[in-house]
Amino acid sequence: MKYAPPFHRTNGFLPVLLALFALAVIPLVFTDTYIRHTLILVFIYAILASNWDISLGLGGVVNFAHMAFFAIGLYSYGITVKIFGVDPWIALALAPVLAIVFAALLAIPILRLEGIYVILVTIAAAQLLLQIVVSQSDYTGGTSGMVLLPRLTLGDYRLSSDGRIGYFYLALLLLAASTIFLYKLERSALGRAIKALRDNKYYAIARGVSEGRVRLLTLCASALFPGLAGGFYGAYLRVASPDVFGLGFLTMTLSILLLGGISTIWGSLIAAFVITILAQLLGDYGSWRSIIIALLIIAVVVVYPGGLFAALQEAWGGANRLKTNMLAGYRRRAQASVRAAAMGVEDRLVETRHGRVSVCDTQTGDKAILFIHGNSSAKEVFRHQFEAFRGDYRVVAFDLPGHGVSPNADPEDDYNVEAYAEIVADLVEHLKLGEPVVFGWSLGGYVGLEYAASGGPITALAICGTSPVNKYPDDMPRGYIATPHMELAGKRFHSPSEKTAYATHTIGMKKGLEPLLWQAVWRTDGQAREQAFAKLKTIDWPRQTRLMRDGTLPFAMINGPRDPFINHDYCRSLAYGDIWGGTPQNVGDAGHAPFLEDPETFNAMLRDFLNEVETTRTANVPRETTGAGRAASDPSG
Amino acid sequence: MISLDTFFFILASGILLGGLYALMATGLAVVWTTLGVFNFAHGTFVALGAYVAWQVTQSIGGGAGFLLAAALSVIVMFGIGFVLHYVLVKPFERNTNLVLLAVITTLAAASIIENGILIGWGPRDKQITPPIEGSVGFFGASINLYDIVILLVALLTLLALALFLRRTSLGRAMRAAAQNREAAELMGLNVSMLFAITIGLSAATAALAGVFTGSLRFISPTFGADPLMKALVVVILGGVARFTSPIYAAFIVGIAESFSAYFLGLYWAPAVLFAMMIAVLLIKPEGLFGHRSKTL
Repeated sequence: MKYAPPFHRTNGFLPVLLALFALAVIPLVFTDTYIRHTLILVFIYAILASNWDISLGLGGVVNFAHMAFFAIGLYSYGITVKIFGVDPWIALALAPVLAIVFAALLAIPILRLEGIYVILVTIAAAQLLLQIVVSQSDYTGGTSGMVLLPRLTLGDYRLSSDGRIGYFYLALLLLAASTIFLYKLERSALGRAIKALRDNKYYAIARGVSEGRVRLLTLCASALFPGLAGGFYGAYLRVASPDVFGLGFLTMTLSILLLGGISTIWGSLIAAFVITILAQLLGDYGSWRSIIIALLIIAVVVVYPGGLFAALQEAWGGANRLKTNMLAGYRRRAQASVRAAAMGVEDRLVETRHGRVSVCDTQTGDKAILFIHGNSSAKEVFRHQFEAFRGDYRVVAFDLPGHGVSPNADPEDDYNVEAYAEIVADLVEHLKLGEPVVFGWSLGGYVGLEYAASGGPITALAICGTSPVNKYPDDMPRGYIATPHMELAGKRFHSPSEKTAYATHTIGMKKGLEPLLWQAVWRTDGQAREQAFAKLKTIDWPRQTRLMRDGTLPFAMINGPRDPFINHDYCRSLAYGDIWGGTPQNVGDAGHAPFLEDPETFNAMLRDFLNEVETTRTANVPRETTGAGRAASDPSG
Repeated sequence: MISLDTFFFILASGILLGGLYALMATGLAVVWTTLGVFNFAHGTFVALGAYVAWQVTQSIGGGAGFLLAAALSVIVMFGIGFVLHYVLVKPFERNTNLVLLAVITTLAAASIIENGILIGWGPRDKQITPPIEGSVGFFGASINLYDIVILLVALLTLLALALFLRRTSLGRAMRAAAQNREAAELMGLNVSMLFAITIGLSAATAALAGVFTGSLRFISPTFGADPLMKALVVVILGGVARFTSPIYAAFIVGIAESFSAYFLGLYWAPAVLFAMMIAVLLIKPEGLFGHRSKTL
């Protein structure tokens, strides 16, 4: 399953658009040639570093001959223009071709090699190339290089006129094209094959990824834009010197890549600005400049290996948490009446061992039903059930931590199914719900199963939009239909359009109709989504399926037939000891949230189930002790 | 083709080069086999060693000054290597990306040392005055006495290092740490310190190579790059299966370099070496004298 939304639907779209606009406007505001020159260098370094990420980051092939691609572009421009008298534009187009040819040749020796040997061979290859360049002084100018290379012109207009404005926009165009190329490559089938080969080589090969072909393409892809940038560099500075093979140039580019963060395209781009501008600022300090940059590299690698991009994401995540928490606090006070109108009862905060949660409790009634909502939703999703059942039952629902108007909680300890089940246990105890009927929706279904399986007092359990899992993660692709929206469920940062997609698919309604639930998706702490999914693997899944198989607990599955997530055939195929109606039930024509989409039919069905549970309970008195008896017989409970 | 004395002259200079390369490459190989990292600052160890020695010979002249300079340089570089382990390798020794991270930090260290030399001693070329003059005949070719001394000292140093690793308890502990880190730790060995000593010894041999090279040629702040590349070629060519593998390879490389410089020209000699290295990696990645194993 892949999830690859178009770029304009992601969170990165706006910042990138703004940055591009700013870069396009800067030379018009600052007409100083020096600023333009610095920015052109930034663009070149950004292209070199971000394309190096293809082999080093995505592919895990540590290619130290990357600078040679640039050098080949540079020298091929110089030689074709100066020695063979080719038109500069054609020479520029030819530069990446030669770089790619070299990349293909380089791929042959490193095919059989791993780890440090790849580094050594690529260093040797670059040095070999350097020696050839230095020895062929008739063509390359030897150690002193080539000077006065022809410049680029458009008709009679020199790109260097008007303070190098033409070169500036050409460089910006190159950077934009390179970034689009990288973005598309990373999301293409080839990009996924490159990453698969890095992450699990033998598994990738077993799944039909050809190691040789993919490595060849990895290197060729990473040579394209550096070669072009090399040609451009030659046309811009009009000099080709063997310095581009030097360790200093390599260290500088590598430090940009590392400071930005490996395996992120954007990190290198940001770091190129930071490092190049830092280097220009330190320009007066000569050797100290190199020392400071080297110390910076060591500091980044030792202290913060994720680099700038990870730091940026962390800052973004922190801001997001702060924002969602403040939003929840504000709504808890300001919108209390709106929620009370929807639910028929005011909510309040209740202390549990995983922090405070917001609870709606009708207070009256002998028998309690506890509703647990799903991922990125809120307790208001059950408002129709509050209306229908409050006459006969004590109806209780709560917002999971990080959801609805509950405050955010600790991501490590409080955002997982086991913690949520412990919250349910605490609520049952604090609110004196006795042995409630528990209804869990989607992620809440797992919470209900976990609560029952861990031996919490319970009369009956009903789940909805949840596929029980026996073996994790193998049963996940069986229990769920692979759709791109599944990816959203565990994703930390949603873009506005992703939030819309998620909201419409989970509650099956348009924006205007359910403002509270719509807001709930926006409010949800991204860490809650990410952590709950990341920690699914720690759940004792067989304990849950054992509970359903034993059939000691009255159990119902009430699903929407048009649910876009769960696989109904899988749910029907499972072994149930005592499931209400003999098989999972369907509600009318509803989707993932039948209790909200078709409340009449759903409520009637739930009432039937509750009545049946009640009848068996009264007819069969020992049932009273079922909860305790079952808990005692369960060794893991 | 060429006269016999020219042939022997080239051969002799090749053997001398081989001795120096052996000194440089063995340090690199020992670190590689023990810590599993490739030290890209090794070339700058050679350069820094040479500069430290030069500084001493400036104040104390003559043979005694040279001996003192060499001794001080070796001790200082041992200390620097020892400390650098804790800065460059130790922080992420458990990281799965150790190889790449160490490449990056050692490259950065090389940059720091190189620029530090530039700041401390300036960009001008320097030379250490050789302590011994005179020459001897060798199959008709005239060989400097000092060259023979260098070769002998280099070989004796390597022999001493080999004996240290095989016969002393500290050397055995270092080999144990290289072969099985966990077991060595369970035996109560301070593996971190053993690794630091390994890098220190490697830097000390590099310093000795630097002192000799600096008394044969001019030294400049960037002069570490060439020894690093040569050591790299030697280690790849010979492999690291045994302590002696890079030593044999060093002589092959030294002789090959002398002859290709004579026949093909100075600029082509490095190209020949790198082509040899790539060929070996293609056909026998574990090196000419190697079978894939990781031991000293």
